[in-house]
Amino acid sequence: MPTLAIDQVKVGYSNLIILDDLSVEIPEKKMTTIVGANGCGKSTLLKAIARILKTQKGAVYLDGKAIQLLSTKEVAKKMAILPQSSQVPTGLTVYELISYGRFPYQTGLGTLKVDDLKHINWAIEATGLNALKDRSVEALSGGQRQRVWIAMALAQDTEILILDEPTTYLDLAHQLDILLLLQKLNKEQKRTIVMVLHDLNHASRVSHNLIAMRNGAIIEEGTPKQVMTRSNLKAIFDIEATMSTCPFSNNPIYLSYTLN
Amino acid sequence: MSEYVEQSLEVKKKGLASRPVIATIILIGGIIGLLLAIGISVSMGAAEIDVRTVWSAVFQYDSTLVPHQIIQETRLPRVIGAALVGASLAVSGSIMQGMTRNPLADPGLLGLNAGAAFMLAICFAFFPGLSYLYIILFAFVGAALGAGLVFGVGSLAKGGLTPMRLVLAGAAVTALLVALSEGIAIYYRINQDLAFWNAGGVSGAKWENIKIMSPWVILAILGAIVLSKSITLLSLGEEIAVGLGQKTGMIKLFGTLIILILAGSAVSVIGAVGFVGLVIPHITRFLVGYDYRWIIPCSAVLGGVLVVLADLAARMVNPPQETPIGALIAVIGVPFFLYLTRKGGQPL
Amino acid sequence: MINKPYISTYQKNRHKRKVYTILIILFFIFVSFIISMNTGYIRLSPLQLLETLIGMGTEQQNLTLFEFRLPRIVISILVGMGLALAGCVLQGVSGNPLADPGILGINSGAGLAVVLFISFFPSTSDVPVMFLPLLAFIGAGVTATLIYVLSYKRGEGISPTRLMLTGVAIAAGISAAMIILTLRLTPENYQFVAVWLAGSIWGSNWMFVLSLLPWLLILIPYIFVKARVLNILNLGEVTATGLGVNIEKERLFLLAAAVALAGSSVSVSGGIGFIGLIAPHLARQLVGGKHQFVIPASAALGALLLLIADTIGRWFIQPSEIPAGIVVAVIGAPYFLYLLAKSKA
Repeated sequence: MPTLAIDQVKVGYSNLIILDDLSVEIPEKKMTTIVGANGCGKSTLLKAIARILKTQKGAVYLDGKAIQLLSTKEVAKKMAILPQSSQVPTGLTVYELISYGRFPYQTGLGTLKVDDLKHINWAIEATGLNALKDRSVEALSGGQRQRVWIAMALAQDTEILILDEPTTYLDLAHQLDILLLLQKLNKEQKRTIVMVLHDLNHASRVSHNLIAMRNGAIIEEGTPKQVMTRSNLKAIFDIEATMSTCPFSNNPIYLSYTLN
Repeated sequence: MSEYVEQSLEVKKKGLASRPVIATIILIGGIIGLLLAIGISVSMGAAEIDVRTVWSAVFQYDSTLVPHQIIQETRLPRVIGAALVGASLAVSGSIMQGMTRNPLADPGLLGLNAGAAFMLAICFAFFPGLSYLYIILFAFVGAALGAGLVFGVGSLAKGGLTPMRLVLAGAAVTALLVALSEGIAIYYRINQDLAFWNAGGVSGAKWENIKIMSPWVILAILGAIVLSKSITLLSLGEEIAVGLGQKTGMIKLFGTLIILILAGSAVSVIGAVGFVGLVIPHITRFLVGYDYRWIIPCSAVLGGVLVVLADLAARMVNPPQETPIGALIAVIGVPFFLYLTRKGGQPL
Repeated sequence: MINKPYISTYQKNRHKRKVYTILIILFFIFVSFIISMNTGYIRLSPLQLLETLIGMGTEQQNLTLFEFRLPRIVISILVGMGLALAGCVLQGVSGNPLADPGILGINSGAGLAVVLFISFFPSTSDVPVMFLPLLAFIGAGVTATLIYVLSYKRGEGISPTRLMLTGVAIAAGISAAMIILTLRLTPENYQFVAVWLAGSIWGSNWMFVLSLLPWLLILIPYIFVKARVLNILNLGEVTATGLGVNIEKERLFLLAAAVALAGSSVSVSGGIGFIGLIAPHLARQLVGGKHQFVIPASAALGALLLLIADTIGRWFIQPSEIPAGIVVAVIGAPYFLYLLAKSKA
């Protein structure tokens, strides 16, 4: 059984059902990206996986156990979440914010133990934030801040990393910078990464596995080569696309498109 | 949808939403209601006086009759004062809401009343025995001070005057000015003189006050009616108003002046009473639509009715004591405010 | 611990600086304490003060110091701490930097309960003093629940804007109710309520200290223990869930603690606003954003502020005095306006 499985879930807000009877498995130690049009339910799926939205029917299973039945602190030791936008608290240094990632392992007043310090320092190293670690978080640029949030999630030391549009509000270079960082983490640390991305070409370039959604249902799931096809793009977005191949990843990308 | 299209749709919706027939009915009905309320209020009190005597006391005054004296000397000025105060507060509230496009604007909530009351405290402390004309002038200055602080702070912030900022700034400025007034009152031992203004009540209104106050109030309300068309356009948004050729700076200046005159003279008579300027314009808008040419006169009449009735209730609830009128109006005003808060931003 | 190679000297120094800052505030409290003992209609020179403290004072000196000034000073310190921590927690939990038990109407709710009680059981002389904080807590709790329910919308939850606006409205409504209620009171009770509303440290005897102390002894350690949780709650709901915080539960308990702190403090001090706003803000400016430091620093600053305000109020127009609540409002309201002008959203 994979670490993360979604079984026949029904999710929504008070009387608006967004996902109904949806099942999917997230492959272990791979990068999985959920793509789809606005309002297709991709963020909702991600939030259901992350236990932020409760399932009305069905369940999300983490290591074979229903996630709602596990203590939230136990889940936090296995799964870290990066929301689309985060509140930046005032008066914190980068180091202090990253150290908050150790929350699930702490007790009492929260003094950092040697093990905590190791993980914090490793997270800072891995995200290349060494030079910035004593700076105030408020003073950082958008791309730097996103790195800090990722570092905090890394300090949480979890097998699974869930990210909701980690590249929004970033310019082209910083978008790629974040994605390559995630790719590196996946390769070197064998972490399972699940994320939502808007940019299909980026998704295709870095993911092992794509989940394409429309109207709350999964249209296609598989490798980028299987999912990124002309006919699928038409089914997902109603667009006619000209396809090509990414010279860096050899995965399919679209060159341009028109409305159907 | 682009913002411009949205705004012009709003214009169209508002244009259609004005209801002149209903407005005329409300205006006439309101005036009749106001006269009736005044009549009832004058005849009720510690000494019951029937309506016929009231009539003769007003139109065939005989200074040898005690009931005539009561009516002429205490009740009439009080009731007329209440009507003027109600009209002033309601009109200043509706101008404020229209100009700032803020559904929660009210002279009581936005620090004008507290400012006027603060200046009154200074008046009593440093210049005791000042004539009423000067008291009114001080009250204007105070209202301007309160308003200036609230709007100044509100617009200093990035993102400008949001309803929440205005209300919070109003609450803080009110807290500050009330604290200062209390400090002055304690220091100069004038608590008693000020207690009346802090609780709010029209029992102190005398002919002398009415004579000085009424020309200001009437002129200001007339001015508001003259300005009303421009306020309607301003309420659609500053850009649209400019686009339609309005000199928004001038309109805002005159509008502010009118608000200060109205709020200042109201406070100088009744003390710190809130919520009239909040509730009445909303009800009026609901009834007559979004055209300020109708909103302003109708608000004036309905505001008068509200305060006259509230004053009557203040005397009736717990005789012979008077219940503070500000507290009574808050009983209506607070739920109304909560309702508006829940409903969120509605167009003005 | 010897083996700590991972923490940078910068972080260590930052840590130390924060501890020193808090110690300096404590020192200021000590200085204010001494000045405050000297301040009042009956002057005590430092020497007389010392004599009295070691038990060699005259009867009048003993009475002045031990029965009037000391309990009052102690209450100022305790109430200042309580209100500051209540504000600190409210700001942390609501995510709204302008939250304050005074502005949100929680203080007036506590006040209303006390006034209601006095108006129905008018013999103030035997108001069970120990009972007042509980009464105030109930009043504050009912008000807080009301504000919470009224600003809650299905599907949207609580928006900070709606919360603040509802709080302002409820505060206005309660003060109206209070004005009507006070009319029922006898003159001496009216005087009591008027002084209470202005926020004077009126409970200047040891009974009040005793009635407030148990509340603080339970609640303050609880909030200290929750420092970590407050840190995480500040990061937003999603991040906090991701880090394993049970948001609903923690929020509820922390809010209840804040309400209890505000209510019990206000029950002996009267309506003092703005301390809960200023102290946490200053604290964050001085020691940064970690609640492990913000909480002790806020508590110390709250105590310092209220002690200074009460001392100024006593010194300003002797033999009469200005209630501390007024002094605090005169300092606090402009600070609030300054924060409002600086705020972004």
